[in-house]
Amino acid sequence: MINVKVILPSGIKIDQECDSCIIPGVDGDFAVLEGHTAFITKIRPGLVTIDVKKQSTDYAIHDGFVTVEDNKVTIVSERIEKADEIDKNRAEQAMKRAKERLAQTNNSEIDFRRAESALKRAITRIRTSN
Amino acid sequence: MANIKDLKQRISSITNTRQITNAMKMVAAAKLRKAQASAVNLRPYADETAKMIQTLRAKQTIIDHPFLSLRPKKEKILLVVLTGDKGLCGSFNSQILKKTESFLKKHPNCDIISIGKKGNDFFKKHKANVIDTFTGIFQELNHKLITEIAQELEHKYLNEDYKEVVFIYNAFKSAIESEIVHKTILPVANNDELEVKKLEYLYEPDEDTIIEELVNKYTFIEVKRALAESFAAENASRMTAMDNATENASELINTLSLEYNRERQASITTEIIEVSSGAEAINN
Repeated sequence: MINVKVILPSGIKIDQECDSCIIPGVDGDFAVLEGHTAFITKIRPGLVTIDVKKQSTDYAIHDGFVTVEDNKVTIVSERIEKADEIDKNRAEQAMKRAKERLAQTNNSEIDFRRAESALKRAITRIRTSN
Repeated sequence: MANIKDLKQRISSITNTRQITNAMKMVAAAKLRKAQASAVNLRPYADETAKMIQTLRAKQTIIDHPFLSLRPKKEKILLVVLTGDKGLCGSFNSQILKKTESFLKKHPNCDIISIGKKGNDFFKKHKANVIDTFTGIFQELNHKLITEIAQELEHKYLNEDYKEVVFIYNAFKSAIESEIVHKTILPVANNDELEVKKLEYLYEPDEDTIIEELVNKYTFIEVKRALAESFAAENASRMTAMDNATENASELINTLSLEYNRERQASITTEIIEVSSGAEAINN
């Protein structure tokens, strides 16, 4: 068993034992099982999957860092959302908006980095809620 | 001996004061609940981020990052002092300012950034070297404002001759107790309180990138932590102070009422004696 902890600015959101979990690292998704080596990485937007007795729960995550040590996984992030907490319609609208903004390549008033990260967030949410 | 009318007036004025202090206590208690939650909930997040930096640091012998290396040749200190915007909160502001004063005596070469109105007034009076002030920001801690403060600190630290950036603020401990924190934010200090495991970590992508990102977050989180803790401590302090004031007022009302009743009784007694002795004089 490994212990997964998700720490947000608003408190500790998840603190539970699990059999394995999959985390989206910047250089690719990785699964943590018992006996994983000590490891620190940055998180990219994606899905965190926590497996307990073959029951898996998905969460959408957008940024943060993760430390793995001694069968303990500690995720420090600004925000994490459980699949059923996500408003899919809202995410789809946000995706549409972001795409429209990104399409206007000749408009210098648009903050493309912001629009891009908004698009990534929306896509992650939609993927998680499916 | 106090006159009955005066006593009556004092009792009514103290009753009014008690009503005000009691209301202030209620307001502070309500604010405290929210402020306490945000301060306490932020702690694990801030600690964990600091711990990650320490972990990375423990592994690498030399990290070449301006926020991590000491600057022994420089002398000037950038001091950030957090006070409240309002008074009537016991010794909350005076304790911070006392501490600041003794710090300034030890390190005269300081520039000050003052957050909170009470501090601004104090430094104006003492002609301290204030380079920037913020007021009225505790009510709504928004992301943009904290980023602004954090960036200003980073910018000043990088571009000017500061040896370090030091925070002085009240940290929330409990409703009746707060603790003055005196903390060096930049360069990121070695913190022995955080338990760092000496393990051989693997890093993705690499140490430098991760530390860069973490350090950028660190200042922001520390500013946020200081603001949240200070606001919680201020409201806790105000709640306790107003609770004491309400209690004192009640006590005063009790003693004054006793005196008032005694006086009233005494005057009635004298009147009766006068009437009865007058009647006796006629009878004789």
